[in-house]
Amino acid sequence: MSEFHLTEDQQDCLQELINIAMGQASDQLARYLDTFVYLKVPSIESVDAKDLIQTLSQQQNTMAIVSQGFFGYEGIRGEALLAYQEEDSGRIADLLGYEPDELSQDEQLIDISSILTTTFLNVFARQIDNQMSYNAPKLLPMVQNSLLDHLQQMTFNWDVALKININYQVTDYSFNCNMILLIPETAILNIKKVLDRILADF
Amino acid sequence: MLDPNALTHLKSTGEPMLTEPMLKQINSQIANQLNTGVLVIDDEFNIVMWNRFLQVHTDKATANIIGQSIFTIFPELPERWLTRKLTSVLQLNSPSFCSWQQRHHLFELPHTRPITTDSEFMAQNCTFLPIETDCAQKHICILIEDVTDVCHYQGQLQKTLEELAQMSRIDGLTQIYNRRHWQESLAQEYAKSRRHNKKLSLIMLDLDHFKLLNDNYGHQCGDMVLTEISALVSSLLRVEDTFGRYGGEEFAIILPETHLAGAMELGQRICTSIATASLNYNGVAIKVTVSLGVAELSDDDSRYEELITQADLALYQAKGQGRNKVCSAAFVTSFPLA
Repeated sequence: MSEFHLTEDQQDCLQELINIAMGQASDQLARYLDTFVYLKVPSIESVDAKDLIQTLSQQQNTMAIVSQGFFGYEGIRGEALLAYQEEDSGRIADLLGYEPDELSQDEQLIDISSILTTTFLNVFARQIDNQMSYNAPKLLPMVQNSLLDHLQQMTFNWDVALKININYQVTDYSFNCNMILLIPETAILNIKKVLDRILADF
Repeated sequence: MLDPNALTHLKSTGEPMLTEPMLKQINSQIANQLNTGVLVIDDEFNIVMWNRFLQVHTDKATANIIGQSIFTIFPELPERWLTRKLTSVLQLNSPSFCSWQQRHHLFELPHTRPITTDSEFMAQNCTFLPIETDCAQKHICILIEDVTDVCHYQGQLQKTLEELAQMSRIDGLTQIYNRRHWQESLAQEYAKSRRHNKKLSLIMLDLDHFKLLNDNYGHQCGDMVLTEISALVSSLLRVEDTFGRYGGEEFAIILPETHLAGAMELGQRICTSIATASLNYNGVAIKVTVSLGVAELSDDDSRYEELITQADLALYQAKGQGRNKVCSAAFVTSFPLA
């Protein structure tokens, strides 16, 4: 087991923090969007850079991926990827409370991504006495099946990342998307320190 | 803007490193020298403050804008959309973004490259940040970043890429498709015709005695003939046909959803048009004829290359029968190379 892997206690602690954050985030989102937002129990795992490419490209019918970087104190940083499928994103403008002709499909995806990412991470950051900043969300360039090509062109400067996968569902609007938080090597060490501190306080 | 913890830091003399008034001065000077617009509004979207960048670019007096609605001062803003966006910032207490790639600009501001770019207004990346103060009322800080340069160069890059893509498909001399693109098109049309069970025909054509023409009148004359013939044939085709230069003086036409008889008819029309065309090189009238081979995709063909072979055989037959004529692969009786 490498230094980048979480111990069982650390994993449990992180899982609990995320569960709490998910509860609060879904509550906030429900009030803002005026509909129920379901968040599925997240999966937390370590992934190799090469396996990540595999996992992402295996997600069939992925229509778009929006990426948004986040960074807080104590070296907590990472990248959030939001993956959308064609059939699950027809009514985003409606869900967001915009008229469909007010914004393009790209802007709808970017807007909802930013809302989901920042709402969840803000609450999560508060759980660990931190505060997050974000850069502007970007639509990753891809045309139909070229996602794999695109990912293969990316050179990762890390081998292992902590991957947190959360699924969002808004059944009233048949909306569904996957949020994948990726926390690379050095930031994993930093998050382990934070988790150890929380565990010590118990 | 700066970490107020610095206020508690003492110098060796016991004096504070930084005092409140100093911090205020530093913050305001930085805000006013930033090359980014900073605009703070309250939760009713009235302007509370802005920085020098915005004052200068809007050419408005600060006294006239404070307390005014952002939609009054900037009537160009899409009110419904922005209201919803600003509401999300207040309600979710999280930042929101607007990139020039989705909306070129929100605020109609002039930019610093009016001469060397063609955009009328400053391209912008805007960030909407929730701001909490001691006051119960929430505020939003809008950061307006000038990305006219980025936008301009991205546009140039896009244009260049399109030109390159176009160039890689086009034959430099005749301006029709080159061999590579033509063959890719044939592979696609072959797949389409198989999938939808549609007809597909092919014409190969070759200039008669082209070497003689080059020898007698020079290569520039040869080039002129290739260009003129290409233009002439192009004018006889439908939009869905794909015309390409296959080799030196050999051309090929893909005819989707066309049966043999239709392709033969077109072949004959091309043959006659070229034979009766009056080409002129330096005042000398040039007579040119072409030979054509026509083939239709048959059920037996399992590769698009077989269609080329068929049309080629018919072309050889046309040559063998005295040139300036059209032959069909259906009537190729003997292997002409044997």
